Amino acid sequence: MQNEHQLTEAESLQIITEMIGKVKSHFHESGSGAILWGSVIGFCSLMSFLQLYFHFSIGFDIWILSLVAIIPQLFIVWNNRRKRTIETYSEAAMNAVWSTFAIVLFGLILYLNLIGNISKQLMLNEQQLLLMKNTQTGELKEIVPFVLSSNSLFLLIYAFPTLATGFIRKFKPMILGGILCMLCFVASLFLNTTFDFLLQAIAVIVSWLIPGLILRNRYVKQQMGNV
Amino acid sequence: MFKDLDPILHSQLRLAVISLLISVKEADFSFIKEKTNATAGNLSVQIQKLKEAGYVEVEKKFSNNYPLTTCKITPKGIEAFETYVKALQEYLNAGKS
Repeated sequence: MQNEHQLTEAESLQIITEMIGKVKSHFHESGSGAILWGSVIGFCSLMSFLQLYFHFSIGFDIWILSLVAIIPQLFIVWNNRRKRTIETYSEAAMNAVWSTFAIVLFGLILYLNLIGNISKQLMLNEQQLLLMKNTQTGELKEIVPFVLSSNSLFLLIYAFPTLATGFIRKFKPMILGGILCMLCFVASLFLNTTFDFLLQAIAVIVSWLIPGLILRNRYVKQQMGNV
Repeated sequence: MFKDLDPILHSQLRLAVISLLISVKEADFSFIKEKTNATAGNLSVQIQKLKEAGYVEVEKKFSNNYPLTTCKITPKGIEAFETYVKALQEYLNAGKS
């Protein structure tokens, strides 16, 4: 592009439009993060459902996979930063939304793991004990306090970043996925834990895995077009 | 009476650079070079002029042992761009009537 040419007003307008258009067409998300977490959480939820429904055990906690998935996620973040030549405002907003989600998710997991024993101790300090009564035998059994339908809370917070991403990016598959998360959340209030896992699997596959695959497809097409 | 078009922005390459930066949070020198089809030398000179006018911020750092220059539009640059576009609209509207 030459610099010395004296611009007319129409040419100025054309340059502005052309450059803004070039930025718009440049950016395409690879969808790797959505595919990773959609697959991992979907698989773990489905395995949990199958184990509870068919009464078998695979011998270890399947949710360990979600911790292992942090390693490829870190690689995805590092690789994206390495390849990135621009940072758009919507990309910055997305990073903020998903980072907030990760912090909230960590907080929720911490809460669910600690609250039972802490509550039990606090109750004991006040000479109180939580008992569960079998209405048939009349037997009283001591229980650790627990959060009812905790999987519903996961479905609720999955809806937040999914909907936010869908609205900010104007990406329909994620808007629909977020709405599905909300519907699954409401449905989970009326179902037991076994089926909560099934709902969770459906929700993450529809709201993360499928949109991730759509993004991936667009990204691959764009990369092939650039070759 | 028409406003004078900002001479810093009323140049093909500098306007292209600002138009790219207005829609992103920050961009690498290589990205700007690719999209404007400018030579590295010419682009450096024009970015320097924009920097001197306070329209862009330039940050030089290292990434994977390679020098990396990133550019970001400043609030003053955004204001100048908006004023420039308004002035352009006035010229174009006057041309129509």
